[in-house]
Amino acid sequence: MMRTFIVKRKWSYLAGIVAIGAAQFFQVRIPHILGNFINRLKVGGTTPHVILGFALDLAVVAAGYVVAFGLGQTQVGRLGRTWEFEMRQTLFSHWETLSARYFQQHSVGDLLNHSLNDVTAVRQALSMGLNQISQAVFLFLATLYMTIRTINLRLTLFSLVPLVFIPIVIAIIRPEVRTRSRLVQEGLSDMSESAEESFQAIRLIKAASNEAVEVKRFTEKTQTIVDRQMRLVRLNTVFQALVPLLSGIGFTVGLVYGGWLVIHGRISLGSFVAFTVYLSMLVQPLMQFGIVINLFQNASASIVRLQVLLQEKPDIQEALNPINREQWSGRLTVSHLNFFYPNATRPALSDVSFNVREGTTLGIVGKTGSGKTTLLNLILRDYDPPPASILFDGVDIRDMRLSDLRQLVAYVPQDGFLFSTTIGHNIAFANPTVVLEAVKAAALQSKIWDTIESMPSGINTEIGERGIMLSGGQRQRTAIARALIKSNAKILMLDDSLSAVDARTESEILQVLRQVRGEKTTMIAAHRLSALRDADWIIVLDRGRIIQSGVHQDLIKTPGFYADLYRIQTGGEPAHA
Amino acid sequence: MPSAEEWDEQREARMSDSATAMRHLVGYARPFLGEFLVVVGLVLVYIGTQVVQPWLVKIVIDQDLIVRHPQFRAILTIGLVYLGITIVGLFSNFTQNRKLQWIGQRIVRNIRNDLFKHIESLSVRFFDTHETGRLITNVSSDTNQVSQFFTSFLLSLIQDGATVLFVMGAMMLLDWKIALVSFVVIPVIVLISGLFRKKLRDNYRYTRSRYSRLIGYTAENLGGMRITQIFHQQQKQFDQHTELNERYTEGNINEYRWSVRFNRTFSALGNLCIALMMWVGGEAVLHRTIQVGVLYAFISYIQQFFNPINSLTQNWNTLQTSMISAERIGGVLLTKPEIEDPKMPVVVRQISPAGPVDMVGTIRFDHVTFGYDPASPVIRDVTFTIPAKSFVGFVGETGAGKSTLMGLLTRFYDVNDGRITVDNIDLKSFRQQDLHRLMAIVQQEVNLFSGTVRDNIRLFRPEITDAAVEQAATTAGADTFIRELPGGYNAWIRAKGANLSLGQRQLLAFSRALALEPKILILDEATASLDSATEVALQAGLTRIAAGRTTLVIAHRLSTIRDADMIYVMDHGRIIEWGSHEQLMAQAGYYRELVTKSVPAELVEREA
Repeated sequence: MMRTFIVKRKWSYLAGIVAIGAAQFFQVRIPHILGNFINRLKVGGTTPHVILGFALDLAVVAAGYVVAFGLGQTQVGRLGRTWEFEMRQTLFSHWETLSARYFQQHSVGDLLNHSLNDVTAVRQALSMGLNQISQAVFLFLATLYMTIRTINLRLTLFSLVPLVFIPIVIAIIRPEVRTRSRLVQEGLSDMSESAEESFQAIRLIKAASNEAVEVKRFTEKTQTIVDRQMRLVRLNTVFQALVPLLSGIGFTVGLVYGGWLVIHGRISLGSFVAFTVYLSMLVQPLMQFGIVINLFQNASASIVRLQVLLQEKPDIQEALNPINREQWSGRLTVSHLNFFYPNATRPALSDVSFNVREGTTLGIVGKTGSGKTTLLNLILRDYDPPPASILFDGVDIRDMRLSDLRQLVAYVPQDGFLFSTTIGHNIAFANPTVVLEAVKAAALQSKIWDTIESMPSGINTEIGERGIMLSGGQRQRTAIARALIKSNAKILMLDDSLSAVDARTESEILQVLRQVRGEKTTMIAAHRLSALRDADWIIVLDRGRIIQSGVHQDLIKTPGFYADLYRIQTGGEPAHA
Repeated sequence: MPSAEEWDEQREARMSDSATAMRHLVGYARPFLGEFLVVVGLVLVYIGTQVVQPWLVKIVIDQDLIVRHPQFRAILTIGLVYLGITIVGLFSNFTQNRKLQWIGQRIVRNIRNDLFKHIESLSVRFFDTHETGRLITNVSSDTNQVSQFFTSFLLSLIQDGATVLFVMGAMMLLDWKIALVSFVVIPVIVLISGLFRKKLRDNYRYTRSRYSRLIGYTAENLGGMRITQIFHQQQKQFDQHTELNERYTEGNINEYRWSVRFNRTFSALGNLCIALMMWVGGEAVLHRTIQVGVLYAFISYIQQFFNPINSLTQNWNTLQTSMISAERIGGVLLTKPEIEDPKMPVVVRQISPAGPVDMVGTIRFDHVTFGYDPASPVIRDVTFTIPAKSFVGFVGETGAGKSTLMGLLTRFYDVNDGRITVDNIDLKSFRQQDLHRLMAIVQQEVNLFSGTVRDNIRLFRPEITDAAVEQAATTAGADTFIRELPGGYNAWIRAKGANLSLGQRQLLAFSRALALEPKILILDEATASLDSATEVALQAGLTRIAAGRTTLVIAHRLSTIRDADMIYVMDHGRIIEWGSHEQLMAQAGYYRELVTKSVPAELVEREA
């Protein structure tokens, strides 16, 4: 994935790296000019004019270095950021194709880490890492070339020998550094987690006057971090001291052996001076070698994670030859539906069959975990039902075009998820081009219009992250309006969507839903029986099976789950009163 | 901190907050003053060795190489001296590094501990207005940024400042005239870095804000992906993402381009200086005022000179981030807890370590008025008395003020008017700790902690014994399912409690409340998130739990409080009806209306 990007832009990359390489060849001219300059001074007989010539020569070479290096760095950096842009685009559009199962298995925080850390890690390797590596490599090559050609082969070899140990040291020490720094990271996230738990439970902690206990637990975590961090520091400081030590030894060798060569007339004083400058030039890129290796290691781990993510196939595939129809009516047939969640041993739904005629209302009742939401999600094709078990107007929903199916269903989720835009845009989510009147009509139907009118900017009020500015009931009502505005939908689906509105508002909304009855098929899943009393047919689910079905009047008279639930919720009056 | 003060002189007004905060945090460094001095000493040794190095080469050139009869022995000696000095320097640097990290880590730890302790001591209102995520960032990363001030900024200030001074000193010693000429570049450097700094900072901020918008958008869309898909709006959401991504990338590239320009300008400047030195120094060598080795040393020093100046300018960024973080931490640390303990609290006698106290739990609200914003009260002139050990229910629509009443009773908030007493003692006369020992609260949302089931029940308190934990769990009816967990009472619970069902979590919460042996038990919508069948199963446990204590129950579902000794009906912050279920039903008032609303229509018709 990194490779295809680089291959696609090979000429741009080549240009950038060539510029960086050229810059290094400019840079190694500088000690050379200095050396010649010193020689001329030593020999004597120079004029101010010659001196100025050397100075200008150096200035020109330096300008070449600066310009070439700057251009190369900018080019590579820009390419890395372009990669980052494209990667984020790819990630986002890939996520958009993935289905509900995926988002249930991965927390938003985990996924966001890809976008935050992995993409950035790879970009850093691609821009900063590549810049430094090519700088170091070219500089090293150019230096070798210059020192061997213009100074002395043996001097070069002898004084560079200690530097060879640097990569060896890095190879030995790296794995341990990684282990220790991972421990530090774990300690840090442990601490954050403990703080999060504690802050979120602050009312509990205060009411139990448990603050001191919490502080003590937290203190243990921070101490662990200190201990682990110091173990890492001990290793890192050794590494940080070793590199300059080795290059210091190299420098000493250069000084002594170089001096010996000068004394014996093998090299000139100028070459000696130039050589010391070469050595000091190499130290910085060598010191950064550890950082660069770290960058590439992080990036390769990140690349693997990103690859795994991008290889994820959408569970829900479009039918090869989808069935097209001009007109759909909204008749739903479920026949012998069995469904297992991935890796589950117990079926979430078993042998569920029912029929909903066009324009009628179906109520679904059951305990938490009885399969109500699963049933609705299967109709939406969040998960794939077995073939021919859910039919829309007699057509297997798996043979429908996915966009058709979802356009035909107006859905209100359990949690009333909203986006952090204006309340108007949220209601018009399904159709951004819809006129204001339509938004108002939907808002009036779902009893949220009065709330909207009382807001500071009315329909243009920003409702904050996930609609935080609204109460639970207001969120649900907004979500209902968002569903009602889909006027072409044939099925209206409410997944326990009235749980947070009070009894009075609930009955008002139900009243409205009664008006759209006849036009739309309606499915309501609920805990509270009050939400279902108008249903044409009610099914009762228990552990994925339909255990009872019928109309309300009959069900309350039949001993069983429904009648029991009814008695509990109405406050103990016997059902046969 | 004179350095910080100097720096913000020009913008004292704006920066005064962060300067105050920083000064407060500098207090954390004070215990380590001795260690800091050692660090400074080691830094000076290290820099000394660095500055001596070119000098040694200069000696080699001028005294051993350029002379007519050079001596290798002298070169060897200087080479060994060079090695020795390098080793001494590296050793000081190594020791200094460790020491400084040691200090830095301890400073972070101490700030973290104090900050956490302080946050825990703040009142509930603080948590209403501050996001948890923000507070965690304060504790985890802002503290780290502040310690960077000590370990990175101060170090750079000392190290780079000293390097510049030492190098300037060495140059003056070598030849003061040439030294003075080369100092001409200093104002140029300062000017250029000043010009760049503003640009770099603006770019940085611009890119940051674009980035956080992009990430925020991504996070939200990941959370709502299902909705986007069901409503078939992938293209629209993707287009918005593209727009945000483009804006961020544009800013990001621009920011990078400017930082490259800055760094390259600096290296150009450095090389220009070397060229200048060749010209000036070369002429001096020509006129025999200096030797070749001196020229060499000058050129080396100029190279040494630029690194610290560069790193000093880059360290202003560290200072900036540290200051912003210090301001944030300071903002939290300087927040006073809204609710403070009285100077002379009533003495509450402790009977057993776990909590029982010598009180009975009679509660009285006396003309209590309260509003989160005092201008719009949500509790209006409420008066009632709850006898000890009775079971009382509160009903009303969402927003009627039920939960607020409980918040006042636990003194999460202070009343605006009127007073609340327990056993005829004003709440304000208790130490909060003693008051809270009297009570336990069970809420709709159960907070769990990463740890064992046992520790979750006793809230990590060592004084609550294993036997007491099991006793509490048995009473609450949680014992059976706990024993079925792998590991039983020692089963590990994940923080989000994903491995427990809603009902099980609620049972744990009840056990927890029991283990604290409260005199007053508050159930705030404790069963609302359960389905009716699970609720009924819990109801049996509830009766056992309530026995022998004053129990206040807020219920969404009216069935929960049917058997209460007294039911208070609330509407818009007032108590509008009270009595037993039967009395209230007979009154044909608001309560009756509420009951009928939550009951299917036919039943009401039959009852009528």
